[in-house]
Formats: sequence, structure tokens, C-alpha cells
Amino acid sequence: MSVAIRVNGLGKRFRRYHADRPPTLKEAILRGLRKTVAVESFWALRDVSFEVAYGEMLGIIGHNGAGKSTLLQLIGGVGQPDSGRVDVDGRIGALLDLGAGFSPDLTGRENVFVMAVAAGLTRREAQRRFDRIVAFAELEDSIDNAVRTYSSGMQMRLAFAVAIHTDPEILLVDEFLAVGDLAFQTKCLRRIAELKANGCAIVLISHSPAQINELCDRAIWLRHGEVVMDGPPDVVTGQYAVEMRAESQRRTPNEAPEWISAEASPTSNLNRFGSREAELTRVRLLPGNRIASGDPLEIEIEYRAARPLASPIFSVSITRSEDGQACLDLNTQAMGLSLPTLDGSGTLRLSLGRVDLVGGDYWVNVGVFESAWAYAYDFHWELYALVIEGPAPQGLLLPPCRWWLETADTKQASGEPPVPFDRPMAQLQQREVA
Amino acid sequence: MAAHIMAETACRARPKRRGLSYLFDLLVVLVDRDMKLLYKRSALGVLWTLINPLFQLLVFLFIFRVVVRVDIAHYPSYVFTALLVWQWFQGSLVQAAGAIINSRPLIRQPGFPVSILPQVVVTTGWVHLMLALPILFGFLIFDGVTIGLNALWIPVIQLIQFLLQVSLAYVVAGLNVSFRDTGHLLKVLLQLMFYLTPVFYDAARVPAEYQSLYRLNPMVHIVNAYRSLLIQGEPPDWHALAIVAACALVLLPIGYRLFVRQSHRFVEEL
Repeated sequence: MSVAIRVNGLGKRFRRYHADRPPTLKEAILRGLRKTVAVESFWALRDVSFEVAYGEMLGIIGHNGAGKSTLLQLIGGVGQPDSGRVDVDGRIGALLDLGAGFSPDLTGRENVFVMAVAAGLTRREAQRRFDRIVAFAELEDSIDNAVRTYSSGMQMRLAFAVAIHTDPEILLVDEFLAVGDLAFQTKCLRRIAELKANGCAIVLISHSPAQINELCDRAIWLRHGEVVMDGPPDVVTGQYAVEMRAESQRRTPNEAPEWISAEASPTSNLNRFGSREAELTRVRLLPGNRIASGDPLEIEIEYRAARPLASPIFSVSITRSEDGQACLDLNTQAMGLSLPTLDGSGTLRLSLGRVDLVGGDYWVNVGVFESAWAYAYDFHWELYALVIEGPAPQGLLLPPCRWWLETADTKQASGEPPVPFDRPMAQLQQREVA
Repeated sequence: MAAHIMAETACRARPKRRGLSYLFDLLVVLVDRDMKLLYKRSALGVLWTLINPLFQLLVFLFIFRVVVRVDIAHYPSYVFTALLVWQWFQGSLVQAAGAIINSRPLIRQPGFPVSILPQVVVTTGWVHLMLALPILFGFLIFDGVTIGLNALWIPVIQLIQFLLQVSLAYVVAGLNVSFRDTGHLLKVLLQLMFYLTPVFYDAARVPAEYQSLYRLNPMVHIVNAYRSLLIQGEPPDWHALAIVAACALVLLPIGYRLFVRQSHRFVEEL
């Protein structure tokens, strides 16, 4: 997949001026046209880098003021970055402040032309798409009335219809979508999915973890203008939810946690998330963090709970470090295991009979969660490296395998049953070479 | 090549842009919108743009034909021509002051070429002038002026005036973002400039010691040019017009940069 949007080390600084802004020209002339001095400045975005491929939908989540809208604007070429750069390859469509551009005194028809051309269509293209736009907005009957007579829902529908019919190759969506009724929302979502299937790169801003989980292929969590996390939507939004809770309850501890594992150094909110009501004090991969494809693996998790915690959920997942692809995702709840109340410290082991993954670099992610997945107590993400040695063909799985050819001749010649496929990889290969 | 491009920082996103034909379409659509809005907001519609100069004309005729006697041939045509030309100039700059501030939704539209906004303002004014032109011609004929072939040069003068106004519009619109009293100050300056432009008097009557200073006002040459083409039927002072055009061309990129930078700043300040 080729890259539609490339954001590289992007930074944007905002300056606050004196309280009596905006200044007047009279004052400026009296002052002698000296530059207005910024009182303070802060980084609305700091060193943000990511890429979005064609056909990919990226969700951006974060609190108000985290820099989400600023980021979207900069991608759209509105405003100038103070550092880094944005490269965008393709025509940009935007669902930002829908309906703000309408002239209330003009008719729907006149507004459609203005908006469609302002969004990048030529007059001829706008003319050709006009009927489709109106049909999509379901406004055939009132298209020749002044927009000021429209309900806000009708305005949104019309604005959405225009934006979506401009053939965007890149679509920027801000706080989508309180457009019209449920039926219309469904239609909008379907249309967005269509665009995506046709290769449109989409960036969606949302407060809602559920929406991002449902729609996006990937998510980025922004906090104070910095990328906290970039990964699968469920992981990112899950941790975002954790922080929402942790922040409101002020549970995130400031003191250094007890940490005894030497191989990895966890950093809060970078690769370690959670309220720390229970802590994972040590995670070990046995026999080691370098195994051959098809070998068994045991994950030993030592924990310590500061207070009794009823029926927690432990989860272990393996992701490919190259692209974050989840290869394995296990948790105690899904396997029907109900753990007793945690209190004090203990050790939990997960034994995998064999790990039939292709050779390469992986991460083992380990977490302990609240009994209803409401938030994490402690979650270590991309902290434990696992190297699998062995051939690395395409795909994820590499079970013991062998090609078997059966023709009428061979069947007659030998009555032997097929060789069972339960040998380790290496042996099988040797035999075939020999 | 690619490495070289990656090396430079702080470069804005450059989405694929359409060519000139797209920009022309955009200009047409936005001018059309402004015209329609004017039609719809008042019963008289575009006639409004004529009423103002006509009233001013009556006032000047009363003062300089009845109260103070001014001896200029075809005085009504003389004043009316200048009033229409001045109206385009003044209207463009006053409207341009709000070009960035009143167009936030358009500026926030990714890929929208913000630099077209002052051109829309100036073009709308030009359309009004063109609509008034038949009335001006009727007026001239009624006043006994014979319109000669030199009137065919009018579009060239309009082009120079257009350039001048777009350059100034960029500056005014850009300044108005930083200093919101630009509009008020502009009105004062325009009023001053109105009297320093030969609208209701003859520029030649300005005493020689003030002429060099007086002729720094570009509108002196523009107004004179329209008059010599339409009323006197003579070629204009091409030398002075060339200097006006050259100044406009120098100001254009400066104003353009200021405008684009300020429009970015404006949408960032929420």
C-alpha cells in the first residue's frame, strides 16, 4: 500500500499575546510598529510522526485541547507547522464544521455549487454530480428554497452530501457524525466505507473510543500534542479509557513502582499503562526470548496487588513488531477461566505447547485488567521482545508441513500411508533435502 | 531529489491543485454568489450600486454648477465617470478588509486557494462597473460627448486598475487580521484620498509646487486616463500608467505573502 499522508516530526507552536488582543493599528503606530511580543508559547503539537496508506482509516483520540483539530488542519494544509512537515498526495475532502460555509440567503441549489467548487470540483463536474448530491441529501423537494429555511439536520445532510461527492482521495473527518437521523447516519457510514474500499485514506477525530474501535484500522492517541500511542484501535482506545479513569480518580501513582525485571524498562504511558492497583512486577519468557519456530513457550507473570481485586482478567498477546499484526490474543476470561480475588503477590503462568509462527521479531504484551475490561490495572505493551528463529515466508503461521503429491501411478506403486505431519520443522526440511 | 525535498522543514502540505481553469471556475462561482446575495438582500438589487454615485453626482452638480462655478466642459459626465471609477476602487478596498475575517469556513476548507478571495472582491466590483457602463455611455451621449475609438483602450486601464486594487486588497485584508481597526482607518484614508483624487475638479488646477506630491496618488492617473479616453477622446498618459502598473506588480507579491501568512494565522487562532 502506498502512503497517502506522511507526517514527519510535525510541531506547531501557539503563542499567547497580551490579554488586550487583538491590538489596533493605532496602538501599533503609536508604539512605533514594534513587534507584539508573545507572552508565552506552548506546543500544540510536538514531534508527531505517522503515515496513512490509501484505503486505511486512522482514528485520532485524545482529550479536548490535545491537538487533534490542529493536526487535522495541518494535514489539510490550513496553517503552517513550526517544525517538521506534512506530505499529502491526493485530493483532500473534509467533513469539518459541516454547513458553516452556507450562505443562508441563497437556495440549496446555489449553495451546492459554491460548496462543491470551493471543495475542488470544476463547475462542469459540480453540474454533473448535482442530482446525485441532492438525492443523497434527500432534499429533492426543498433544494430551491433558501438554506435559511432548512433545519440544522437538513443543512448537515446537504453539507455532507457535497463533501462526500467530491471524489476525495484523502478524507478528514472531525467529530463525526451527528448528521440527521439514524437511517441517514447509516447511509453516511456506508458511503465512507465505500470510499475507503475504493482506496481513500481517512483520518477520523473522535472522543468516542467505541466509534474508533468500530471504524478504524489503526488509532493514535494524542495527549498535550504528543503521540502517546500508535497501534491497533482496541489497544489504543483501551488505554485511553484507562487514562480517562485514572485521571479522574487520580490513581496513577507517582512513586517508582517495584520493578525487578532487568531486560526491559517500562515507562509510564509509553509502554506501560494502567491504574497500578495491581502491578506486573516481573514477566519472563521461558526458556528465553529467542526460540525456534515450533518450540514451546512459557510466559511467567509475577504480580502484586496492593488491595484485594475481585476476578481480574489476565491477557497475553503476541504481535508482530513490523506492523503490529496480532498473532495471538489470549485472556483468562475468554478461555472461561475465572480467577480468584487477587491479594498480595503471586505468579501466573501461561504455557503455549508450540509457537508455530514464521521467523521474525515479535512483541509479547501482557496485562491484567479490571473484571469487566473497564480499564487496565497494569498493561505492558511492546515491552517484551520475542525473536523467533526459522524461515520467514509470507504469512504468519508456520506449522510443520510437507507437500504430498498423489497420482494414479504412485498410489498403485506404494500402499504406504502419508507421513504424519508432526515432526519439527528442521527435521522435516532435512529429510526432504535428502 | 527526494532527499533534498525531505531536508527542508516547515513546509506546508501541498495538496494536488487544479489548474487555471479550476481557479477561473472558483472565481466565477464566488463572484456569482456575491452578486446573488446583493440581489436577494434588497429589492433594488444591483441598482443600489448606481444610486450612490448618482446622489453624489447631484450633490457635486449643485455645489459646482450652482453654488461655486467650475468651468469644465461636460461637467456631469466628467464627474460621473470619475465617481464610478472611484466607487470600484473604494468598494474593493473596503470589502477586502473583511476578506479573510468573513471567510473562515472557506479558508478552513483544505486545499482552498485563499489567495483568490481579494480577487473575488475586486472582480465583483468590476462586474458592478461593467453593469453601470451602458448607463455611463448613455449619460455621455446625452451630455453631448462623442465617444471615439480611443474608448477601446478602456479594458487596458481596467486591467491596470484591477492589478493595483488586488495588490492593495491583499495588504488591507492581511493587516485587518492583526489590527482589527484597519477598516476604520481605511475609511478615513479613503476619504482623504477621495479629495486628493480629481473626481470633481481638474488635476491640472493643483498648483505646480504640489504636483509632484499630488501625482504620487495612483488614482490620479487612473481617473485621468478614463476621462481622456471617454470624454476628451485622447490617448491617456501611458508613461504614468506604466509606472502605476509597475508599482502594482512590485506590491503584488508582497501583499500576496502577507495575505497568505495572515490567513494561516487567522484560522489557527480559534
